[in-house]
This record gives sequence, C-alpha cells and structure tokens, in this order.
Amino acid sequence: MRSLGISLEGLRALLDHKLHTFFMMAGTVVGIAALIVIMAIGRGTESKVMKRVNNFGPRAMMLIAGGGKDLPPPDMTVTTLTLEDVEAVRAEIEGLEIVTPMAWKMYTPVKREVNQIRSVIWGVKPEWHQAYNWYTAIGEGISAEDVASLARVCVIGKTVREEFFGEENPIGGRIYLNKVALTVKGVLTEAGTSPGGGDFDNKIILPITTAMRRVLNVDYLGAIRIITKNPSAMAEQAEEIQVLMKRLHHITPPEEDDFRIVTALVIAEVARGISRTFYYLLLALAGLSLFIGGVVMMNLLLISVNARVAEIGLRRALGATRGDIFRQFLTESLSVTLLGMLLGGMLGWAVCQLLLRTTEIALILSWQQFAVAVVFALLIGTFFGVQPARKAARLHPVEALR
Amino acid sequence: MIELENIEKTYFTGGIPTPVLKGISFHVAPGEYVAIMGPSGSGKTTLMNIMGCLDKPTGGSYRLDGIDTIELDDEKLAKVRNRKIGFIFQLFHLLQRITAFKNVLLPLIYTEHFPPEAAKRAEKALSAVGLADRMHFRPNTLSGGEQQRVAIARALITDPSILLADEPTGNLDSQSGAELLDIFQRLHEQGRTIVVVTHNRTVAERAERILLLKDGVISGEDSS
Repeated sequence: MRSLGISLEGLRALLDHKLHTFFMMAGTVVGIAALIVIMAIGRGTESKVMKRVNNFGPRAMMLIAGGGKDLPPPDMTVTTLTLEDVEAVRAEIEGLEIVTPMAWKMYTPVKREVNQIRSVIWGVKPEWHQAYNWYTAIGEGISAEDVASLARVCVIGKTVREEFFGEENPIGGRIYLNKVALTVKGVLTEAGTSPGGGDFDNKIILPITTAMRRVLNVDYLGAIRIITKNPSAMAEQAEEIQVLMKRLHHITPPEEDDFRIVTALVIAEVARGISRTFYYLLLALAGLSLFIGGVVMMNLLLISVNARVAEIGLRRALGATRGDIFRQFLTESLSVTLLGMLLGGMLGWAVCQLLLRTTEIALILSWQQFAVAVVFALLIGTFFGVQPARKAARLHPVEALR
Repeated sequence: MIELENIEKTYFTGGIPTPVLKGISFHVAPGEYVAIMGPSGSGKTTLMNIMGCLDKPTGGSYRLDGIDTIELDDEKLAKVRNRKIGFIFQLFHLLQRITAFKNVLLPLIYTEHFPPEAAKRAEKALSAVGLADRMHFRPNTLSGGEQQRVAIARALITDPSILLADEPTGNLDSQSGAELLDIFQRLHEQGRTIVVVTHNRTVAERAERILLLKDGVISGEDSS
C-alpha cells in the first residue's frame, strides 16, 4: 500500500509534465517500433527461406551442366556432364546418400491426340524419387526394370495431367514425345513452385535410358542430383565435388568451369535476399535508437531531478526514506519506457500492417516480438532510470531544502 | 519530550573544521511554546535541522519522546520525521502542481498505512487554519499567508509531537505574519508543542520561552 502510493507519486509527476514525458518517450517509441518491424521482417524472411530450402531439399545438391552461378535449369548447350561423372562422384566423395543422374530438356512439345503442350522432360533413375522426396499420387513411379528395358513409359506432373486428361483417368493413357509413344504409369504429387519460380508440376518423368536413347538422343546429362547424409558437411562436399569435376573435365584456371553446383545453402542465400549481416545491422540500428532514447530519457530525468531538488527535500522532511525517493523516480522512468513500449508496439504493428498491404516484403508478426519489446523496455527503463533515481535518493535533505 | 544534551555540530570544509554548534543543552516540555532566537550565522537553522532529524549532530545526545535519535539509521529517522515532527518552512515548500488538499495529504503517503479517514483529516486540518473554502485551489492561486496556512495544515495532519517552524513569517507581510502567529497561539492553547526558530523579536515574543542563540551557544533565556 505504501509502495503503491509512492509509485503513484511518480506517475502523477509524468502526467503533470506531459511534454517533458513525450520527449522522454520518443526514443523508446521509435526504437521499439523499429525493433518490432525488423524482427517481423527477419522472421518473415527466415520462414520464406525455410520454405524454399525444404522445397529444394534441405540435404540436396545439384551438379548442373554449364558454368556460372544460376539456379537450375541447366545450360542446354553444354554436353560435358556424363554418366561417368555420376560414378566418379559416387566413388570418390564420402558421406553421400544418393547420387543420381538426370537427363533434362526444357519446354519440349508433347502431344496427346489433338492437344499439344510444352513441358519439362526429366530422364531419371528409380532413386530419383527418394532424391526429390517426390512420389506418385496415383499409379507407380519409375522402376529399375523400366530403366533396364528402356521402357516406353512416363510419370506426369499435375499440370500435364490437367492439360491432357482433365477428369479422365490418366493411367494407361498415351502421350507422344518426339514421336515416341509413352504410356502414363503414374502421376506425381503436387509440388508447386520451383526454386527458380516456374511451375514445378509441368513435368514429364521418363526412365533415363528411354529419355537419352529413344527420345532426346543424347549421351550427356542435364544435372546430377546429390543427397548428403550430413547437411553440415555439405559446403565441404560441394567443394570436393568441384575439385573432382575440374579434374575429370580437365579444367585448369583461368578456364571457366563447365558445370556448377547449387546447394541448399545457395538456395537459402538467394531466398534470403537481404543478407544476414544486413539484417543484424538493422537490428543494431534499432538497438542504437533504443539506447539513444534511453540516454535522452536519463538526461531529461536528471534535469527533472535538478528541477525538483526542493520537492525531494520536502518529501524527505515529510518522512520519505531514500528508498521511497528512489522508487518514485524509478517508477517515472519505468512508466515512461513501458508507455513508450506500448506506443512503439502499436506503431510497429501499424507499420507492419502497412508493409503487408502495400509491399511484397515477407514479414511475420508474433507475440515473441512484443515480448522482446517488453523485456527491452524494462531493461532500458531500469538501466537508464537507476542513475537519476539514485541521484535523487542521495540528496541530503538539508541541502535539498536550502 | 525534547532533550538536547551538549549538542555539537562541526562542518569540515576542505579539511578545516568549522564549529557551528558548540555544546547546546536544553529541554522542551510537552505543550511548551519555545522560540529560539538569534542573528543569522548563529547556527539556528543547523539546530533546527538537528531537532527535526534532518541532520545528525557530531557530538552530544538528542532524545525525542524518549527515543535516542543519534543511533537511528536513515529509514528510522525518516519514520521519526513522519510521525513526530511537523515542519513549517520559511519558503512554505508546497508542491505547485497539486491542490492545497493534496499537499496536505502528502505526509500520509509516507506513513505505514495510508489511513482510510485521510480525506476527512485533511479537510479538518484545512478548516482549522481557515481554508475550508480554498481546499481545491493550487498553491500559486493562494496568497502567501494562505500558503503558509496550508503548510501548517500539512504539518498537523500526522498529529506530530512537535511543530518545528523555521522563520515562518519570513516571507509574509506583517498582517499575514500576525495572523499566522495567532494560529500558533491557538495551537499552543490546544496543547501543541511548538518550537519556532527566528531572528525576529516580535515573533519570538509570542512564545512563552525564548532561548537566545549566539555563536553556537545558548547565551541566555527569557520568558514572556
């Protein structure tokens, strides 16, 4: 009861000096708002990154024909990636679970009866299904027997099914690819958007032998899909693969690589857009504005202590202990920062809503950000409030009353 | 009630001792009205600060209501000030941003338990000094005399053992000063113990006993 009364004295002082209170609060409001917006952007970005990485395969690497740094698809003019490379990677690089070849042809005309569409062709081996964690929704996937017998079969993506079959049962249906008749034996589950942004479901999967010898008539690969056993070794393995491939393809600097390796790490980096460093810089800036807000508040509180020396002396004479005075002034600073936090939280929330409505920035608001704001406000209120409160409490009543 | 024995107070400025009070002894009995009179620099404010438990002497003993105040720490001294002493200052020391009524309530915030009848007590105290109709005015809308009467009401609200007044009329015109001394007279007749510190003989002569303070010692005593 006694403490409550004294704390109320602190609150009353704030209400009596509204402009002063506003200036004490400004830094906290801006700092907390910035903190919330930046943390929301951070969370939104991370969730986007996670989605992309999971889509690509968190343990996946793609060894792709053609140099540079682009994501798939491969460079169709490069013919140097071969089945021997698959064997070499499998034999020489340790810690890999799957190494599987993929023949690849971008948008190729496919016909069924009178309909024609353009679709991406992948020639694969049975373990491709595991490597992509991508199986059939109906029918069956590519089998070892299909590969061994150059079977004229295919598995189609959801988009292909919709274009050709609509509501019909696609299993056993026949489609034509470069005049080769293929029997549909399965339909893949829906995949959505590719890491590059295209329609991942517009796809036809063939046994790799059928693709290379019957349909595409090539002896080279588009890509090799590699799954590591240990994601933390991925960066190192990618480097080892690069060294191996340089050797196999007889590439010596300054000659450029005729292949590239895209890992889940690269996908994450691309998806992140703003780099992690930049994100931390923004967080640091928000922290700095909170800190400056705290310093400003501390100075205004010190000024207010100086302006109220006589009041402090009087309160001491009337029976306030040092602790009472300390409590009163600490209540002032804590109230300022908590109120600032409240306003800053609302401002941050409003800015997030505005960004969500008017921009493409991925952001996620959650209660954690507001919890962090509360913690920061309490820390700042205490850290920067203690000094003025101590100064007020230390005043000798006789000096203060003079 | 008030027992001062051989009180000394020495200030040290840059290591050089400056004795202000050099052994002061006197008693004030319950219900007495005492003036401590002396010129400026005689140490009367220092003496008042010690009697009000705002400051500690460097030597001697001070007992208030039987409590040895020398041994008390900051917290206990604050309690003694709150419960036993009512201060009246030359500069009134009212908080300008709150009403007279709330100023009067201020000491009760620092009591152990905020009394439920606080508002009634404040009203009563303000009525007793003739300010029943000005209760909800802010100090800066009141005259000097009225402000000092608010301060008296504030001093009385905790029902203290003694009223300690330091030059209470120092900032008042003579008419307000006289009115104030009339209030003191009335309080004295009701049995209050009052100690007034002043350099003004007219003020001092209203008390029943005058202690003359000069150069840090009691140089004589008059009674009127």
